[in-house]
Order: sequence, then structure tokens, then C-alpha cells
Amino acid sequence: MSRIIICADMDAFFASVEQKVNPRLRGKPIGVIGSGARTVITTASYEARKFGVRTGMNVWEARKACPHLILVVANNARYTFTCRGLEEIYRRFTPDMEIYSVDEAFLDVTTTHHLFGGPEGIGRSIKKEVKERFGIACTVGIGPNILLAKLASDIGKPDGLRWIKPEEAEGVLKDLPVNELWGIGSKITERLAVLGIRTCGELGRTPAGLLRTKFGIYGEALKAMGMGICTRLVQREPGDAKSIGHSMTLPRDIGEMREIGAYLLKLSEMVGRRARMHRYMGRKISLVIRYADFETFSRQTTLPDLTNDTHVIYDAVLRVMDGVRLRDRVRLLGVCLSDLTNDPCQMPLIEEERKRSSILRAMDSMNDKYGEFALAWGSYITQERDAGVISPSWRPSGVKSVELK
Amino acid sequence: MHVGETISVIAAFGLPYKIRPLRFKWSGKLLEVKEVTYFWTEKEGQKNIYHFSVSDGRALYELSFDAVALLWRLETLEA
Repeated sequence: MSRIIICADMDAFFASVEQKVNPRLRGKPIGVIGSGARTVITTASYEARKFGVRTGMNVWEARKACPHLILVVANNARYTFTCRGLEEIYRRFTPDMEIYSVDEAFLDVTTTHHLFGGPEGIGRSIKKEVKERFGIACTVGIGPNILLAKLASDIGKPDGLRWIKPEEAEGVLKDLPVNELWGIGSKITERLAVLGIRTCGELGRTPAGLLRTKFGIYGEALKAMGMGICTRLVQREPGDAKSIGHSMTLPRDIGEMREIGAYLLKLSEMVGRRARMHRYMGRKISLVIRYADFETFSRQTTLPDLTNDTHVIYDAVLRVMDGVRLRDRVRLLGVCLSDLTNDPCQMPLIEEERKRSSILRAMDSMNDKYGEFALAWGSYITQERDAGVISPSWRPSGVKSVELK
Repeated sequence: MHVGETISVIAAFGLPYKIRPLRFKWSGKLLEVKEVTYFWTEKEGQKNIYHFSVSDGRALYELSFDAVALLWRLETLEA
């Protein structure tokens, strides 16, 4: 059966919300930035994009492109609240829905579209309800699969409604540059260019054997993408978490171990707390370090026993850190717990571990009631509360749902 | 500008907004809410704090309502 997939994508989401909040920003070039002292543009309004301001640009580059750019500090709580509201809107049209990111969702309306005036009827209703409820615009793309629905949404922006029907796919893809397709980034684009493949039409016509030789098993998927074929279904349930991690860009580059240790303790607590909250334990601890020059690397260790204990995670992270000889000051740190399994909820056998488990439960209880870091370890208590950025893996519920300021 | 002060507010309860600030008193002045530009909630532990971005036609204010403590606060002001 041919499916009908909708991709609902908010237009310049963070910037649109901030322009709705503050009437003086409407119609002006704005760039939304993180709360840290050094930061990049996370979203630019369409007015700013006309001057070449783009996501990922650092602030001085953005100001060079657009000298009268207005910088607005992100308010993540607004965006995550809005995303939860968008989810309520989507659920009215189908239960088969996947929140792909804070501003984008996929809906499988194959079996429900006839109840709402067809796929375009749903698209118009979504746009209308989003506008009425939040005062922001979105673009709806419709296609026979997620790949083409997303492409339709990208082509239709801003404030658009675009349907790529199966019989239209070949015509749309024929001269489309390969990097316009979801899942094909700059590195793959370069490697395809070496083979003389620049458009989706050329990609779709390339022999599968050649693509397999150059890209391995992924080569078959690339050929299918060039032909507009995608078998990925809308994922209704997020599934079990594979990892739980947190990272932070530090307010300034640091090199002193005492300071690094304090941040690592905070990150270990964030990871441990989220694991305990969602009843996961893990065995593999990863440490991510980014230097001031943006070189990034990670190191791991595997523990003999499962854990979600902050200090076990922290001790493991410090052991990993001991094996690293820093060549520069550090800009970003990250801690991740993986190789997860559901917490068997067994009482620790050793007295000291039982006491520590009780302390962690008490801390979690206090922080559940009074807010994150209401009770915190002394080593990082003087650190500034960094609002952070919304991770691409953020979801409105479940283990990937993190409360952000 | 961060303010963070408890204030008095006159609010309306009912559909479609459920709760909507109408007027508030700050710095000796009674200010009328001409537009609620945005609404969102934030969690503080188990509490939901209701945030309203409002304009009196001259300045932009962020008000918050703690439904447990029954307190309104003026969080920020942008003149």
C-alpha cells in the first residue's frame, strides 16, 4: 500500500517564537544565540537569512554579514513547551506520529487522511492551528515516504504546503543537487562528486555495484534515495534509550584539572540522575573533550558492573581523564553512559553502596520536588547555571526529555 | 532587565485562555495588559510555573504565576 507521510516543520522556529514574544522584533533580522558568553547562531529569522546569516555561524561572522542583526538569547523552556503543544495538535490527526526534533515531526496519515479532507486538508489544518495557537508559521510537506515528505517541506519553505506525489518524484529529483536530500551531507556530496554524481537523477541511475564499491552497504541506500525510495517508517514509540549523555560548552576555555573535575562531576550527576529517573543502568562510560581549536575526541571505559551511581560514573570519568594528556585548553566536556539495560532495582549488597544509594535517592527526591540542582554537590555549586542548547535528540517525553531553561 | 519581584495582578480565569493577566501594579503604577504575546510553562521541581509575556503598548514584561504558592512575579522588563 502506498503510504502518505506528512512532514511538519516550523519555520525558523526559535526566531519565530522570539518575534512572537517581542513585537519590536517582528520583521527585523534577528539571530537566536545560546546563553553562554561565546556562542553561535542557533536560528536566524528569515529577515536575517536574506543577509546570509546562517545557523552555526559565530556571532562576529553573523554581525559582519548583517551589521544591524539583533541578538536574542534563547529561552529553551518556551521552545520545548511549544513543541509539546505541537504534539497535541498532531495527535488529533493520527496516532502514528514521530517528533523528530523540537521543531519537526513526521505523521503517517495513510489510514486517517480521509477523515480530515485528505492530506492537504490535514496540512492546512495543522498550519491554521499552529498559527492560531502559537502565532508562528510552519511548512507542511507531503509525500509517499519520509524522504520525499521532508523534501517537499524543504522545497515549500517558508509557510508552505507542498505535496510530492509518487508520479512526480522522478521529475522533482532529476536535477536536484544531491546535498538537498535528507541524509546526504557535505562529505558524501564530495565523494559523489568525485564519481561525477551531482544530481539525484544521476545518483538514481548510477549502478548499485559501483555505489556499493565506494560506499559499502550504504551505497544501495544512496541509490534508493536518488530514486526517491525510502523504507524508513514513522517511529511511533521512541524505543529504549541506547545511551544517556550530557555535554556543556564551558563559559571559558579551561585547563586546570580541579575546574575540569568540577564540571565532570556535574555532568556525571546529570547523567546519573537521568538514568535513575528512567530506571536505566549502564556499563560503558564515555568522556568527550573538545579543545579550544574545536578538535574533538572521546575516550571510553567499560565497568565490570552496571551503574547509575553518580560517583561511580564520576570515578570512571576521572580514570579516563587520567589517561589523557591535554594539549590545549578545553572548550567543551561531555559524559555519556551507554550499553544500557533496565535497572533491575536490586538492593546493593555492600553497606557503603546501600548508604550511597540512599543519599542519591534522597537527593533525587529533593530535586524532583524543588527543581534541578536544588540540592547539589559542593564542588560545582558555584558554577553558573547554563541554560544549554536543545539537543537534536531531545524529545517531549521519555528519557530524551530534559527540562531546559 | 531582570526584576524578580512579587507583584499584585488582576487576572481573568476562563476559556479560551484559562488564565490571563489583565492589569498589574509595579513601581507605584497600575499597568494594563494590552497584549499577551506568548504563554509557556516551566517546571520547578513538581511545580508548574506559568509564564506570560505581556505588553502594555510601551514596554514588554514577563510575568510568572506560581499556582502552588499563588504568587505573581514580574520576572523581566524590556522598555
